[in-house]
Amino acid sequence: MNVLNHIIRFELMSLWRDQTLKLLLVIFLAAGVYGIYFGKFEIEKQEARIAVVQGLERNQFDSLVAWVGLDTTIHANKKNFERAISPTGVGRERHFTYYVTHDTPPLAGLCLGQRDLFPVYYGINITDLARQVNVGELANPMKLLTGNFDLSYVFVFLLPLLLISLFYNLYASEKEGGTLSLLQAQPVSLTTIFLGKGILRLLIVWGVSGLLLLIGFVLQGISLTENINLFSRWLSVIFGYSLLWTILMSGIVALRRGNSLSAMMGLGLWLVFTLITPALLNLLVNIKEPVPNRAEVIHATRTLNDQIWETPRSFVMDRFNENNPEFGLIDTSDFNKWYYAGLTLLDEEVKSRNADIEKQVTRRQEWLSRWDWLAPAGVVHEYLSELSETDRDSHLRFITFLHEYHNDLKTIYYEKIFSSQTFNRDDLAALQSKIGD
Amino acid sequence: MQRLIIRKEILSSVRDVRLQVAGIFLLSLMLVAVLVGRQGQQQIQKQRAEAQATMYDKWVNQGLKHPHSAAHYGQFAFKPKSALSFLDVGIDNYTGVSVFLEAHRQHEVLFSAAQDSNGMTRFGEMSVALVLQVLLPLLIIFLTFNVFTREREEGTLKLVHAQGVSMRQLFMGKLWGTYLMVLLIFIPVVCIAYFVLNRETAGLDPHNTGKFVALTLSYALYFLVFILLCILISAFSKSSTFSQLVLLGLWIVACIILPKATTNLADKIHPIPSQFEFRESIKEKVSNGIDGHNPSDVRLAELRKQTLEEYGVSTIDELPVNWSGIAMQAGEEYTDQVYDQEFSRIEEIYKKQNRLSEWVGFINPFLAIRNLSMAIAGTDFQHHVVFTRAAEDYRRAFVKKMNKDMEVNHKPGIAYGDYNVGEEMWSSVEPFAYHLPKLGSILKNQWRSVSALSLWLVVLFALVPLYIAKVPKL
Repeated sequence: MNVLNHIIRFELMSLWRDQTLKLLLVIFLAAGVYGIYFGKFEIEKQEARIAVVQGLERNQFDSLVAWVGLDTTIHANKKNFERAISPTGVGRERHFTYYVTHDTPPLAGLCLGQRDLFPVYYGINITDLARQVNVGELANPMKLLTGNFDLSYVFVFLLPLLLISLFYNLYASEKEGGTLSLLQAQPVSLTTIFLGKGILRLLIVWGVSGLLLLIGFVLQGISLTENINLFSRWLSVIFGYSLLWTILMSGIVALRRGNSLSAMMGLGLWLVFTLITPALLNLLVNIKEPVPNRAEVIHATRTLNDQIWETPRSFVMDRFNENNPEFGLIDTSDFNKWYYAGLTLLDEEVKSRNADIEKQVTRRQEWLSRWDWLAPAGVVHEYLSELSETDRDSHLRFITFLHEYHNDLKTIYYEKIFSSQTFNRDDLAALQSKIGD
Repeated sequence: MQRLIIRKEILSSVRDVRLQVAGIFLLSLMLVAVLVGRQGQQQIQKQRAEAQATMYDKWVNQGLKHPHSAAHYGQFAFKPKSALSFLDVGIDNYTGVSVFLEAHRQHEVLFSAAQDSNGMTRFGEMSVALVLQVLLPLLIIFLTFNVFTREREEGTLKLVHAQGVSMRQLFMGKLWGTYLMVLLIFIPVVCIAYFVLNRETAGLDPHNTGKFVALTLSYALYFLVFILLCILISAFSKSSTFSQLVLLGLWIVACIILPKATTNLADKIHPIPSQFEFRESIKEKVSNGIDGHNPSDVRLAELRKQTLEEYGVSTIDELPVNWSGIAMQAGEEYTDQVYDQEFSRIEEIYKKQNRLSEWVGFINPFLAIRNLSMAIAGTDFQHHVVFTRAAEDYRRAFVKKMNKDMEVNHKPGIAYGDYNVGEEMWSSVEPFAYHLPKLGSILKNQWRSVSALSLWLVVLFALVPLYIAKVPKL
């Protein structure tokens, strides 16, 4: 152990005098800091968008609350009062638009993941959700294709390159520099010497990565004390990934080849694991488990909608009464009751259709996860986006929340609509609490 | 003499086991990409064509109903997967694939493949383009980084020179030797790709062969540029290690780092409004007029006055035609104007962003070939725009037809539910058909990338006679 310590200490001294190492570390850190700022920029853009819709929602709801107290003996106040108390709304802007937002998770700026593919807010009212979620956020597909230069990118793609450049000449430089025979003449075995050199390099990479992650927390204003758990889990993923590349590079060093060939083999491994295998898996999964045709859901919606409008009202009411006994038996004479009952049918239909579609997507993921050990870079990226809650599942959780939110709203509104009541001041106060602060 | 040098270059490379392994690896990778990719393209295209036919069938067989109800029942447009897309998937996984077409509203083209995939999808999809743009240049680097430095290090450069070979001859020999070898890997794949090309979709794109040739030539040009660049750097490098380091560094910057940085910069220079701002702006313009001083109720009153005057009557009830039909079509045409304005504003921002990366092609040939390749393969943003427009034009035409029928045939006094039309009307609307842009318009649109690659070639060739004599021989 003492010998190993000794080797590491001296290797550190000689590495410290080497300008290349410093240059590499500076480049790596610079790339990391750029990634941190880029992630911050993207997240701030999303947050600004969220703030706009939240502010609008709050202002508009404040108006409703003010209007409910209006003196209706004055004619000019009548319309606004009606708008505030009517659960079905009045006029062209029939319904109040609630904005449900996918608030930024604490570490989202470090790994943007799949978050840029989906809207971070939906404007919804109490009509069917089915036709209100068919929107996307505006994004240039070229940008989505090129991807994000965030901190996770630096760790997944550039960290292995740093390790490769630290390791590739470990053996060859001794040989080509003529110092190998000197080392062999030492009482310590070559393996121990190279082990020491290797451990030191891994420690340097670990240190720099930890430092970079810490810089990321500081520059993005993420609280370390509140997220210490996430910090350590990020760190362990990165440490594990570095260890994997260290092992791979040690294998190449153990082959005892020249500088150029070792570098080529390292680069080859990097190409295979970060570029080629993920790309091959993506190609194959499209054939094995094709992307589902989601237009079918829209088709189902429009077909049902067509039936609702083109057939007698009993079509809707029979189905609605069966599925929603809590509202009591609703008759067909009232347009509003029939109309909202019809919208509920649409949502129920879409829910079951979407479940089928999601099963197909799950089969895609399952196929991928069977083979993803071939693409460690992909796995690491997925881990990091899971920890940062920017993966696809995080979006799905948001969608589930959106459905629950919509359901809660509907329960409040539909109780009024189906019993032909209007909102009073207390009802609006209860609704206001759903908007949050 | 030159032929001798070319032969020597090829022989010494072919005998190199490392290059043999790398070459065979790349070849098999491209074969897999061609065969699996082509199967995927066919599968997706089949799925979409079937969906398109099914949806049209549903439209024709929707039964008796009011034409406006039919306009709301609506139709679908599915984006065809271009025959060449298996060579370069481009942005295909990040754009929507289908759009619902109905009265009053221009819906978005929705459901990208990336949204139905996990994070792995961000690593890209294997295609011939990926191999040709990113991996083959790496092989070129390993073929060329020491072509001059090794001769110098082994002292053979002086010997060759003493035998009366001019530096220029030597340079050209090495250039064409390497180029021939690259073509040796490239051409067979091209031939196989052309052989398996999906010809069932010929109706979709009758210019496949021309585009295929253009794509091949573009890559041939790109390789020549890249080889020239590598050999020039090798010729002026002090040592093999140095030239290898420089070339690998350039490769990482050009293929991995610069593309991301360019797109991010473009996004900062030309920011995109949010979906919320976009929708609000449309809503605002529809209700208050495009100029902000022409509210919808004023527009409607104006239309009513005009229509009454036109038919010489004083009330709506006296009109011989259906007022709702006229009002709806007028409303439709006004919102169309708003949609056109707003959608093209967004498209223009995207195009400005993309143009930046086309300009950077003059600095980074990788970006030039990337943009050119996906344009010719029919998988770039412009193709998406053309599809979106075609679908929107189709929507406007059939909605107009429904409104016109309502205006003329739905006589006043008859209740909405009592005027119905059927299959004859529905089938008089032709199915949605979309044709890919022609090669000429694609190249015109990509003139920056074409000029960037050509300029690179011209400048590099011009550099050779200027500097070749200065190549150090020791």
